[in-house]
Amino acid sequence: MATLITIAVLILLYIVLIQVGKTVEKVRELRGESGDYEKSGNINATLMMVFLVLFFAGIVYSAIYMWPKLLPASASDHGLKIEALFNLTLLLTGIVFIITHILLFWFTYIYRQQKGRKAYFFAHNSTLELVWSAIPAVTMAILVVWGIKVWFEIFPNHDDLPKNRIVIEATGKQFNWLIRYPGKDGVLGRRLITKENVSPTNELGIDFSDPASHDDFFASEIHMVKDRPVEFLLGALDVLHSFYLPHMRLKMDCVPGVPTGLSFTPIRSNDDTRDLLKENPDWQKIDPETNEPRWKNFKYELACAELCGKSHYGMQMNVFVESQKEYDAWMNAQKPIYAGAAKADTAATAVTPETMEMGKDSTVAPAKEAGNAVEASTANAKH
Amino acid sequence: MESILGNGPEGGKLTNEFYYSLVTMHGTILVFFVLTAGLSGTFANLLIPYQIGARDMASGFLNMLSYWFFFTSGVVMLASLFIQTGPASGGWTMYPPVNGMSNVAVNQGSGLGTDLWIFSMALFIVSSLLGGLNYIATILNLRTKGMSMFKMPLTVWALLFTAILGVLGFPALLAAVVLMEFDRLLDTSFYLSNIVLNGQLMDYKGGSPILYQHLFWFLGHPEVYIIIVPAMGLVSEILSVNSRKPIFGYRAMVIAIGVIVCLGFLVWAHHMFVTGMNPFIGSIFVLFTLLIAVPSAVKVFNWITTIWRGNLRLTPAMLFAIGFVSMFISGGLTGIFLGNSTVDIPLHDTYFVVAHFHIVMGVAAFFGMFAGVYHWFPKMFGRFINDTLGYIHFFVTIVCAYAIFFPMHFMLSLPRRYYIYTNFQTFQGLEDISKFISVFAIISFLAQLLFVVNIIYSAFKGREMTNDARNPWGSNTLEWTTPVEHFHGNWHGELPEVHRWPYDYSNGFGKEDFRPQTLPLEPGEEAH
Ligand code: HEM
Ligand SMILES: [Cu+2]
Ligand SMILES: [Cu+2]
Repeated sequence: MATLITIAVLILLYIVLIQVGKTVEKVRELRGESGDYEKSGNINATLMMVFLVLFFAGIVYSAIYMWPKLLPASASDHGLKIEALFNLTLLLTGIVFIITHILLFWFTYIYRQQKGRKAYFFAHNSTLELVWSAIPAVTMAILVVWGIKVWFEIFPNHDDLPKNRIVIEATGKQFNWLIRYPGKDGVLGRRLITKENVSPTNELGIDFSDPASHDDFFASEIHMVKDRPVEFLLGALDVLHSFYLPHMRLKMDCVPGVPTGLSFTPIRSNDDTRDLLKENPDWQKIDPETNEPRWKNFKYELACAELCGKSHYGMQMNVFVESQKEYDAWMNAQKPIYAGAAKADTAATAVTPETMEMGKDSTVAPAKEAGNAVEASTANAKH
Repeated sequence: MESILGNGPEGGKLTNEFYYSLVTMHGTILVFFVLTAGLSGTFANLLIPYQIGARDMASGFLNMLSYWFFFTSGVVMLASLFIQTGPASGGWTMYPPVNGMSNVAVNQGSGLGTDLWIFSMALFIVSSLLGGLNYIATILNLRTKGMSMFKMPLTVWALLFTAILGVLGFPALLAAVVLMEFDRLLDTSFYLSNIVLNGQLMDYKGGSPILYQHLFWFLGHPEVYIIIVPAMGLVSEILSVNSRKPIFGYRAMVIAIGVIVCLGFLVWAHHMFVTGMNPFIGSIFVLFTLLIAVPSAVKVFNWITTIWRGNLRLTPAMLFAIGFVSMFISGGLTGIFLGNSTVDIPLHDTYFVVAHFHIVMGVAAFFGMFAGVYHWFPKMFGRFINDTLGYIHFFVTIVCAYAIFFPMHFMLSLPRRYYIYTNFQTFQGLEDISKFISVFAIISFLAQLLFVVNIIYSAFKGREMTNDARNPWGSNTLEWTTPVEHFHGNWHGELPEVHRWPYDYSNGFGKEDFRPQTLPLEPGEEAH
């Protein structure tokens, strides 16, 4: 019923509009004004100015409105540099945006057709054209030089990475992340990608004859140490995924068959960011689920940023940046994969928390599918 | 509302798989079937013969073939909506491996739907190539007497460059999708290697999914120019005619498009900055990408200077042309963020990109197309389109377009192609914008319906254009010298002879403020 009424109202609206259009045209024809755009031009030019003012006001308003809802300050060293360049670009493009828009709409207004106005014949002017090729060229040169400098800092030669870095392997699969830590020895066990070695219990194809693999463990959350560099070795089992850490301002694709990587230093722990958000009105709101201010339960998150199938949006994982002490305590509580590979039961316990975590977190039905996918993989691990 | 849509994602009527199918069809149909075909397909066939003074396109046969390939391709693409497993669902870019393996039904749509998508694209590409060759041949060979290259309107220049882009770019896409079909049907490994599915290592060896991306974007980037360059041409013409002034810097405009076309082939990997490519190669692409901003800026400044001190006749076409310039500026500027690989790391594949390309390509190209339809409507139908409805269409559309896509920049942390994002704490708080955008999207849709209604109404009932007043806009170009009624051959008798460039508006000679191209130069009048 409501649908029918809506449709009827819309049809009526169109009929009214057509009648209005028709009448205006008839009146203009009778007055001999057809093809004369002066009167309507006055109205339209004024509306263009009104639009410009509204547009600028809307931008300011939306910026103020959205400010508290944007991500908190960057939590990685690279993120800071990226933000600085972002802000410079915003400043430069902002200036150009404002000037060109004022000119465009202002000209539309003041040069609207009027009796006796004669257009000024102005076909070209080499000096002007040179100037406004040179200005963007110089500006772009600054952005390119700065950008490329930071770009190489973010992706340095592999040999130049800090020695004290934690190496973590992150592998995307539908629709879940396999996060492998090297364990106490700090070395990830070798992988052997062969038909024999890869199996439902060992999707990564870890070569357990390599002793370095014996203390490797799977994690259901990512843990990092504040101010200690990390290197993520990225890959994917089945299709493209993208390892995206919004708070770190970083992402890198995970490509089956082509290893990629990402290294950075987290500079703000979860607690640091939580403290920042205490001051934020949007985060002071009470979360109806926990009955606490939202900032209390703040956490970093990992997301997938490359369409990888129907539950692409479900590849959420919690991320923690903490002190070395907390990190060590967490690490000590983890169970190595190797024992699990030998004894099926232990494997199940080693991975179960992950299942629960994902299942609990997905409050929406379809996201549960992601959880189910994890359950399936755990079930595989039990075989 | 709820009875139609259900209650949000939870318990909603749109499943995730169907959502991805719709997004894919949306992107594919709009980029290829609407904006590519609607701008260079239609306006090229309408305006090239008219504006260069030719009786027809060089090869009617190629034209027909191109049309029927396009038609079939459209039928195949739309047919995929009705098959049981649904249409392709991998996004308009259709990256492998998710779309590159048919033996695993990753999404429903990655079955037959994807095969149909590939088949349809192959047909579309053939159509584009045939059409493009015909445009190039016509422009180079069939110009009327006196119509040297630098006497051509910018529309024709733009359509020429567009055709060149298509002819050089589309074969790469054809290769990309055909190889993908081989992977799917014949188990080759062009894009696949080391794939583990359900704990089993598949037989694919030695391919790389990145190869597909290179091939795809080798067309994909030029494709965005295939869409925008014809719009630039239409807008240049409309701004000049309605300002009663020559386009400022005619040669600079031609050179700028030329530079954009050349650089356009050297920047494709800016869509792939975070695929793990060698950082050195990435830095080269940063350089070329940001270089494109220079000719783009020149075009914008030239348009603004064109309306400066003009006598602006604010027809609906003119308003849309001005709106086009605004959109091109707004969207082009966010390209400068994305073109800098460093800044692209967080922004890639987020709503910031969605906002960027919808403003600069989606909305701007549509504005160019609207401007073209309003301006050449009397030429097409022999009747005028209703102006009042046109103004309503314009103002509602520009307000909605900015209300939809400007706030979207604030969603810069949110990955695109998310069916739901409330499962992330990080993205909670963006719901307000989502709702705001949805409201304006619906209003905007209603305004587009009004445009369609206006076309149909005016084509039958609009004010008639008479043969005595066959040049209603006081235009210099040749299409307005033909009679109102359509017949094969365009001109009765001899073809018109051209004596001057198309932009002699208000040059101080003659009683009128325009000097048609067929008018010989008077003593003292400068040739351009
Ligand atoms: C100053 C000029 C421009 C620059 C520097 C620029 C730069 C970029 C970059 C770097 C991306 C990739 C972003 C990402 O995925 O991370 C991008 C995306 C895109 N740009 Fe632009 N752009 C410019 C102008 C244009 C124009 C004129 C158009 C079309 C008319 C356009 C259409 C697109 C489209 C369609 C995409 C998204 C493709 C996709 O991933 O689905 N851009 N642009
Ligand atoms: Cu994904
Ligand atoms: Cu591009």
